[in-house]
Amino acid sequence: MNELIQKATILLESNSVQVVIGYGKGSANRTRAIFITQAADCEKLIFDSRCIQNLAVYLTKQEIKKLGKPAIVAPIPVLRSIVQLAAENQIAENDLVVLGVTPESELVEFESFAAIETFLSTHRIEIEGKYQKTIEMIKSMPVSERFAYWVKELEPCFKCYACRSACPLCYCTRCTVENNQPQWISVASHPLGNLEWHVMRAMHLAGRCTDCEACYNACPMGIPIHLLTKSMLQDVAENFGTYGPSLDKLNALSSFKPDDKESFIR
Amino acid sequence: MSKIGVFICHCGENISSTVDVVRVAEETGKLEGVEFSTDYKYMCSDPGQTIIKQTIKEKGLTGVVVAACSPRMHEPTFRKACQEAGLNPYMCEMSNLREHCSWVHDKSEATTQKAIDLVRTLVEKVKLNKPLYPIKVPVTKTALVLGGGIAGIQASLDIANAGHKVILVEKDPSIGGHMSQLSETFPTLDCSQCILTPRMVEVAQHPNITLWTYAELEKLEGFIGNFKATIRKKAKSIDENICNGCGHCTTKCPTKKIPSEFNTGLGTRTAIYVPFPQAVPNKPVIDKDNCTYYQKGKCKICEKLCPTGAIRFDQQDELVELEVGAVVIATGFNVMQPSGFPEYGYGKYKDVITGLQFERLASASGPTLGEIRRPSDGKIPEKIVFVACAGSRDPAKGIPYCSKICCMYTAKHAMLYQHKVHGGKSYIFYMDIRAAGKNYEEFVRRAIVDDEVNYIRGRVSKVYEENGKLIVKGVDTLLNAKPVEIEADMVVLASAAVANPGAEELAQKMHVSYDSYNFFSEAHPKLKPVETNTAGIFLAGACQAPKDIPETVSQASGAASKVIILFSQNELSREPVVAVVNRSAPPVYSTCVGCFMCASACPYQAIGEELITDRKGNVIKRVAKVNPGLCQGCGTCVAFCRSKSIDIDGYSNEQMYSEVMALLNND
Repeated sequence: MNELIQKATILLESNSVQVVIGYGKGSANRTRAIFITQAADCEKLIFDSRCIQNLAVYLTKQEIKKLGKPAIVAPIPVLRSIVQLAAENQIAENDLVVLGVTPESELVEFESFAAIETFLSTHRIEIEGKYQKTIEMIKSMPVSERFAYWVKELEPCFKCYACRSACPLCYCTRCTVENNQPQWISVASHPLGNLEWHVMRAMHLAGRCTDCEACYNACPMGIPIHLLTKSMLQDVAENFGTYGPSLDKLNALSSFKPDDKESFIR
Repeated sequence: MSKIGVFICHCGENISSTVDVVRVAEETGKLEGVEFSTDYKYMCSDPGQTIIKQTIKEKGLTGVVVAACSPRMHEPTFRKACQEAGLNPYMCEMSNLREHCSWVHDKSEATTQKAIDLVRTLVEKVKLNKPLYPIKVPVTKTALVLGGGIAGIQASLDIANAGHKVILVEKDPSIGGHMSQLSETFPTLDCSQCILTPRMVEVAQHPNITLWTYAELEKLEGFIGNFKATIRKKAKSIDENICNGCGHCTTKCPTKKIPSEFNTGLGTRTAIYVPFPQAVPNKPVIDKDNCTYYQKGKCKICEKLCPTGAIRFDQQDELVELEVGAVVIATGFNVMQPSGFPEYGYGKYKDVITGLQFERLASASGPTLGEIRRPSDGKIPEKIVFVACAGSRDPAKGIPYCSKICCMYTAKHAMLYQHKVHGGKSYIFYMDIRAAGKNYEEFVRRAIVDDEVNYIRGRVSKVYEENGKLIVKGVDTLLNAKPVEIEADMVVLASAAVANPGAEELAQKMHVSYDSYNFFSEAHPKLKPVETNTAGIFLAGACQAPKDIPETVSQASGAASKVIILFSQNELSREPVVAVVNRSAPPVYSTCVGCFMCASACPYQAIGEELITDRKGNVIKRVAKVNPGLCQGCGTCVAFCRSKSIDIDGYSNEQMYSEVMALLNND
């Protein structure tokens, strides 16, 4: 991606941005996030199919914000997160340069967040068939069996909160789970504590999750927690309209439309 | 360290008959932090309150739990008692041992145990209570009255005469409502228009009343004393300031065959029209749906003829925002179209009409100038049949309630017919005669005795036409259920009074509750008959339930007096139970991350933003801020906030949690 390196170099040399958030070489055959502040280091930037981490997570981190105005390498999942973060007032248009990368690995620049939204309208979130099947299988279970399924699936969780750290939308200064007056969510990693944590996490992402799978990719135990958010996406779509981030669409759970189904109370 | 006093009330025997109150006092007295506990027969009585006050002073209590009835009635009583003893009133909580325990359970050990549990949860909560202070909010001393019928007129005049500004909004081109359509009124037979029109003029001329006809409520935000209303002033297509009401346009308009709403379809009107000669304001509007120019782009005859040049075809609807302190809903009722009753033949036979249509026939300003004539051929009916309860009291047709006014107006109709058609015969099929009201029974008697109206107790099974006559088949249940058949010339159906078609939508706009028939609900059926459940919004007239004129006028004056009481204060005290966004020490300042989803979730638009700045004025953080004047303490934002950065004063997360844990940790 010479084009990407060139563009990043220009941005840093002209001092248009102070840091470029991108992908670089990691340990073994992996990639990792790198934060380039010197134009000369731009050569370290790479982009290929291994680059699956959602870099948007860094846009709200205080340590990164301190480095100055960022440019961010943004494949589709990152673009979706950017739109959602903008809709939630977490990033401003002028404080960020988006270096979009299409699925064909072409560099694309955006004038505005609205332009990103327009671009995304041709790249909608789709839930893969294999996940659809699993979700349907889980949903068809009797309640007790489904409960047992999740207790078992979540059993390996030891509350490292990597899922939270990897999620671009988990940007709260203080997470509910760290709120100990009162301690609504148990911090212990016993079945109840694990269930409470993951159910809460999924609920907090309802109507917001952009299906980047960063949580699942980050989980050291490989727990399929992305099934919860994928299923939630479908539920939100079914009850409140289409899914996917939008700048002006009000959040599904915090807004009311007269044509909402509200089948859960009616 | 908490020093809490627990006061258990017997409520006469209401609580003590199923709950062992002595044991509740004894057990709760042992709880950690409880300094004193006792029971008494009537805690709300003067000696009861004295016990509380004295204990606060003697024991230096820091919190009080009164275990008695629902807080709805007596929370203010006990909070006041605490305040008089020097304790912040919000350090007093009520545990509802009556509705939540003694009334719903039999006498048993479990009932007493539940009572102990209920008190224990509140003891835990009170430990975390903190002193709160009432919020003062200003009162905008302008009232909004919706609906310009007799209810709206009366309420507006009363409020205006007390010296306050009123904005009266009417959806039709003229005020007057249904009362302006009536001929004579029971039980005195005075002419409806004669008593109403002076009031209408008074409204138009009153310096304190601003009258907006052809206008509707678009949106209502805010709260008691501080509502913000948006009114849609529909385009009348005339400039009211220039129009002098000469009426030239209405005589020359080529579209003349539009059924007149005022004459209930028995007469016609033009596309540019004044609904009736005594209309207020007496200036025309253009009915865009029927105007040739608006529909076909050609005509403009009225514009050419208008001597003052007042026609404005390009006029648009105008949205006006108003600040008002109180709202009176006086949107009235509607008459059910009895087409759902094929057996009566309404809609099929021209001479089967509704009671309201009969009013127009009998009215001097009506299409027949007050002569009772058949709509079909203009003949004077020699025999007329009135059917009471056409729709009302008929659960099968969805209206189980009594429309209240029909018995009286049907008697009046028959009487008017007898007065106007000498030698005519009138019959009334009825279920019961409900004539409860001053001079009402005497009025019905007069119809039966003096005017020889034939009352037949029974229902009509079928009306059909034969040889130009309407055959009415019914039954006389007082004559051994003998079938009755009458060859009538005209049939008048006393069709049910129903809510206005837009009532449900209006109620939702204003956040007032309504019943299953879409009539607006009062806050209490006996003691708060003109208030709604939303403070500052009052009801007048038939929008609440079917009502006659005297009752409507009384209620309108009642609603007006509530508004005047509200406006007699310069500011209102509000419960300080409002949401607050937290603050914490730097560098966090507040755990709020400013996603503002709470703002879209808030039903009262009470959440705005606040910039936290350093001493130099640099913005450090943008966070949500709750306007305590607008917040109603509903807690929607609290439930929605992911980072739990909002809490409700008096009902904090910590307090709720401690209550729950007190229940769960029950050994």
